[in-house]
Amino acid sequence: MSAVSVTELLYANAAERADAEAVVHHGERVTWGELVDQVERLARGLAANGIRAGDAVALVLRDDPWYVASFHAVSALGAIVVPVNPAFKQAELEFVFRTGEVRCVIADERSAGVCERIAAALEGPVTVVATSDAHGQSLTIDALVEGPPADRLAPRDPDETFVYQFSSGSTGRPKRVPRTHGQCAAEAALYASLGMTAEDRIFSAIPLFHTWGQGACLLAPAATGATVVILEDPNPFLLQRHRALELLERERATIFPGVPFQFRLLAEAPDGADLSALRLCFSAGTALPRETFEAFGEKYGVLVRQLYGATEAGVIAANMDPDPVATFESVGRPVGEIDVAIVDDDGQMVPAGEVGEVAFSSPALTDGYSNLDDVNRTAFRDGRFFTGDLGRLDAEGRLYIAGRKKLLLEVGGYKVDPIEVEDVLVAHPKVVEAVVVGVPGRADGEETVKAVVVPDDDCDDRELIRFCQERLANYKVPRIVEFRDEIPKSPLGKILRKYLV
Amino acid sequence: MAVVVELEQFVIGELTQGSGIETIDPEENLLANGIIDSHGLMELVSFIETRYGVKLADEDLTPENFESLATVGALVSARRTG
Repeated sequence: MSAVSVTELLYANAAERADAEAVVHHGERVTWGELVDQVERLARGLAANGIRAGDAVALVLRDDPWYVASFHAVSALGAIVVPVNPAFKQAELEFVFRTGEVRCVIADERSAGVCERIAAALEGPVTVVATSDAHGQSLTIDALVEGPPADRLAPRDPDETFVYQFSSGSTGRPKRVPRTHGQCAAEAALYASLGMTAEDRIFSAIPLFHTWGQGACLLAPAATGATVVILEDPNPFLLQRHRALELLERERATIFPGVPFQFRLLAEAPDGADLSALRLCFSAGTALPRETFEAFGEKYGVLVRQLYGATEAGVIAANMDPDPVATFESVGRPVGEIDVAIVDDDGQMVPAGEVGEVAFSSPALTDGYSNLDDVNRTAFRDGRFFTGDLGRLDAEGRLYIAGRKKLLLEVGGYKVDPIEVEDVLVAHPKVVEAVVVGVPGRADGEETVKAVVVPDDDCDDRELIRFCQERLANYKVPRIVEFRDEIPKSPLGKILRKYLV
Repeated sequence: MAVVVELEQFVIGELTQGSGIETIDPEENLLANGIIDSHGLMELVSFIETRYGVKLADEDLTPENFESLATVGALVSARRTG
């Protein structure tokens, strides 16, 4: 575990490059010196309002310099950052506030009202700080940072809790994932080991509340001194595509952490842009389709590399091959001192090339989920986290992700990989998107294969079933086909299968 | 038929099926209120281009232009006459 806390990394940047840009947003340029000054003031203001070490503070903020300052101020105080999707509706916010045992909420003007209503209904006092007083909010962030410069903040203990992330819950209820200062500083150092430096300008188009955005756009700059260039309100990305290209070009961004959907939309943009400064594009979240990899590379002259991460540990592996054309399907080798093992059902390592469950150890890995001892005993063993993802390592140690272990369906004594069935369905000319799930079958523990399909044209279920029958063993063929307008997805594009069963 | 009415019918008929939405106020915020998501947006753009024979430039695809049925309607009118 790293002996340094993220707060110390922040001070190191202020000492080494006080006048260099730390955050660029909407024409505003915040230097490292200014950022640390804001962090100190905000920490003082929060403390004056009763926030102490160990208190959970939710950030319900769009991506902007206040998000960056709040993230560092809350943690520098020893309080716990609870990043929240600002698009959440009241019930979702309430779930996070309760599960996170939140004592304070920092909310922007669009969310402050609903946060105040929720806070009023929760047991125990919850302080709401708004980024503006546009709606008559009583406590504003401007008031908190007023006054003379604040004192330097003490370094935090590496074992203190830094953040509560929530796992996306693509297969169940979101789990609270606590990570310490030491673990977050270790993740920051992992990004530095990928060759990021103070010269880099990281384009932030992944929400900062997400582990991917938090790691690549908040922790990585803290370790390296890189500048983060924030795309305002990245969703929906189609409406920000023009702005994204303008920013990437004008700000000469060098690193672009994204998701496949974004790279696809940029590759399809009618106009081009000069992205010659861009040296590293990382795609994470879901598998990068070959067409997107090729189209983006052709249009902008930079190849998209796959990166693999988890809410529990941040970045795990990244494809840093000098020429990733032949290996673009790989998420690369484990980063830094991370150790990835591919194991069978008994937890034994399988030979190179064979598919098994991906398990790994990392200095950035959480110690376990909050209040879920049973789950922890299964998921965290022998110093490793068992991801539930299926993958293989090639002879050179590159990792390839092959699907989700937990998704295998039990049908008549056979295991069915839904991805295999989905691949067949999407090959049908009238199918835009397809997700295959298991629904309870006739016998206990038995499942029936169900396909949820977004059709392109008028298309009936018998036609699709016939198509599958021609290409798949009978037990893999969907027995139920449901047509929908869209597939429910998490903010990063992960399919939320629980809503399809 | 007024463009805004056609747009409303398209959004309700094609993009919000199963959600119980029956009418959309022309001024209602489509994105903030979750009426349209990223994929719905792409379908709406393609509907506009096909139905009205206009080509939307990347500069047209902004949050301001797609805020409500009224703003989308104004964009369509501007491109048809432009």
